Amino acid sequence: MVGLLPDLFRASKSGIITSMQRNATQTEELFFDPKHVGEATEPSFIGRSASFQCGATLRVSLHVDDAARITEAKFKAAGCSVLVASASLLMEQVVGKTTGEAAALGQQVAALREKLGALPPERSECPAMVCEALVAAIQKYSDTAREEWEGDEALICTCFCVSERTIEREIQARGLKTIAEVTGACRAGAGCRSCYPLIEDILEEVNGKW
Amino acid sequence: MIYLDNNATTRVAPEVFDAMRPYLTDTYGNPSSAHSLGRQMKSAVERAREQVAELLGAADASEIVFTSCGSESDNWAIGGFLEQNPTRRHIITTRVEHEAVRTLCEHLAEIGCEVTWLEVDGSGELDLDDLRRALRRDTGIVSVMLANNETGVLFPIDEIGKVVRENSDAVFHVDGVQAVGKIPIDLKEFDVDLFALSGHKLHAPQGVGALYIRNGVKLPSFIIGGGQESGRRAGTSAVPNIVGLGAACELARTTNIDGHESIMKLRNKLEDEILQTIPNARLNGTADRAKRLPNTANISFEYLEGENIMLHLDKAGISVSTGSACHSTTRESSPTLRAMNVPYAAAQGSIRFSLGRYNTEAEIDQTLKVLPEIIGKLAEMSPYDEQLKSLYAAHGRSINS
Repeated sequence: MVGLLPDLFRASKSGIITSMQRNATQTEELFFDPKHVGEATEPSFIGRSASFQCGATLRVSLHVDDAARITEAKFKAAGCSVLVASASLLMEQVVGKTTGEAAALGQQVAALREKLGALPPERSECPAMVCEALVAAIQKYSDTAREEWEGDEALICTCFCVSERTIEREIQARGLKTIAEVTGACRAGAGCRSCYPLIEDILEEVNGKW
Repeated sequence: MIYLDNNATTRVAPEVFDAMRPYLTDTYGNPSSAHSLGRQMKSAVERAREQVAELLGAADASEIVFTSCGSESDNWAIGGFLEQNPTRRHIITTRVEHEAVRTLCEHLAEIGCEVTWLEVDGSGELDLDDLRRALRRDTGIVSVMLANNETGVLFPIDEIGKVVRENSDAVFHVDGVQAVGKIPIDLKEFDVDLFALSGHKLHAPQGVGALYIRNGVKLPSFIIGGGQESGRRAGTSAVPNIVGLGAACELARTTNIDGHESIMKLRNKLEDEILQTIPNARLNGTADRAKRLPNTANISFEYLEGENIMLHLDKAGISVSTGSACHSTTRESSPTLRAMNVPYAAAQGSIRFSLGRYNTEAEIDQTLKVLPEIIGKLAEMSPYDEQLKSLYAAHGRSINS
């Protein structure tokens, strides 16, 4: 079946890079027989993405258990072969992962591209669309989880379960100035990034007081 | 393999190959040479010229000049005219031309020509009043296709020719590439000055085309060099290909009289059944079949993406084309469908089925068996659930059934 998607496998067909060829075969199988198509069981968290350039649209839905673990990851797509294969591949990767682990995968577009094999340049945005929709779904989960959180300390980063207190402590102790520094110190913001505005507020508040 | 992409290219006919074979093996020589081998080649070229002239209904074989392809013919017609008439820089053409004309005219607009683009309606048809209004005293050339490569919609070149003649001194060029061999043509009946055709669209090999230049129309040589083609197009004649084009024209002329009918019957069956049985299918181009090529059906499967459909059909052994953005290197959906105001979600899912002389009813039946399964599977995958659900419900069905 290799080579049935002619543009996609231009490079791999040359036979120069065998790992790419392996990836290409897998990509082709994923396209023709995609996994994780459909809707996750309710209650689910939904993320969408679309390309105004090529018109592709994608919807990701996640079902998450009480331990913040993704038990179902499903997608629906109206887009090219690369989009379908990318979505199938990323959904497969995130099932069983915590939302934090999944969100971290969702930030790594380059890694997903590499797993797909040699993509022609005009298709490089397709895997990015899948990552975007996944992260958007996790953000929905995070927003809900943050609101429903009943612990003593306010929860900021739901992906890695980092409280407001912890972030304040880290900022004060290390003199942190940026979100990236906060993430480096305590992982807050390393996942879906829905807490970025909250971390920004805490930074301003603490550093203002300082 | 079920080949339903005959507007892209066609299989070389066995009769054509047989005609070419001697010129690829034992019979060789440069037709410009004076010795007997050369003269033999020359007479093969002249015979092919007569065969082409006869299919087109040209008044004289000398009106046919061989080129390398349809794009060369189109470029020569328009570019050659402008070279000859540098002050007549107003060009009229349509929004739905093949790239050979459209991209050339875009380029000419950038380098100082004025281009009027005629719009089409939702059926892909022109309003001849637009043309009347666009024609001016300084209009140099009007270039209009006879048959659209994507939708098969035919432009009335007889009427267009009259309008051009009555309202201007402009030269009238017709891109006939997609029409030759598919519908009867009689150029001496039309007010057409220049007419481009391409061999590989009618079962000749790739790499040969022709330009009809009406007697009396002056066109400077586009390729400058030797005196081939009566000094009108330099470069050693591609004798095997030219012989192939001649044989293909002969084949089209002698066998397509009922061939058009049988192809049309198969196309109609395919088109009717798809439109009747697949809820999200809609036709692109006029529903009036008298105004469309007999072999082409351009159908959108709304809310799906064409490359997906094309690749699944390919896996099932069926070759078609798509106007989807995903399949074009520009990442934009077909300019022809956009000019027709086909909604975006429909243009994305457009598939062109273009039949040819070798298709059989069994192949159409097989396509009609495979296609609904593919469309159903992709509909289940589409995020436009609500829209698809209501389209399917209107047919009394659910997506999964």
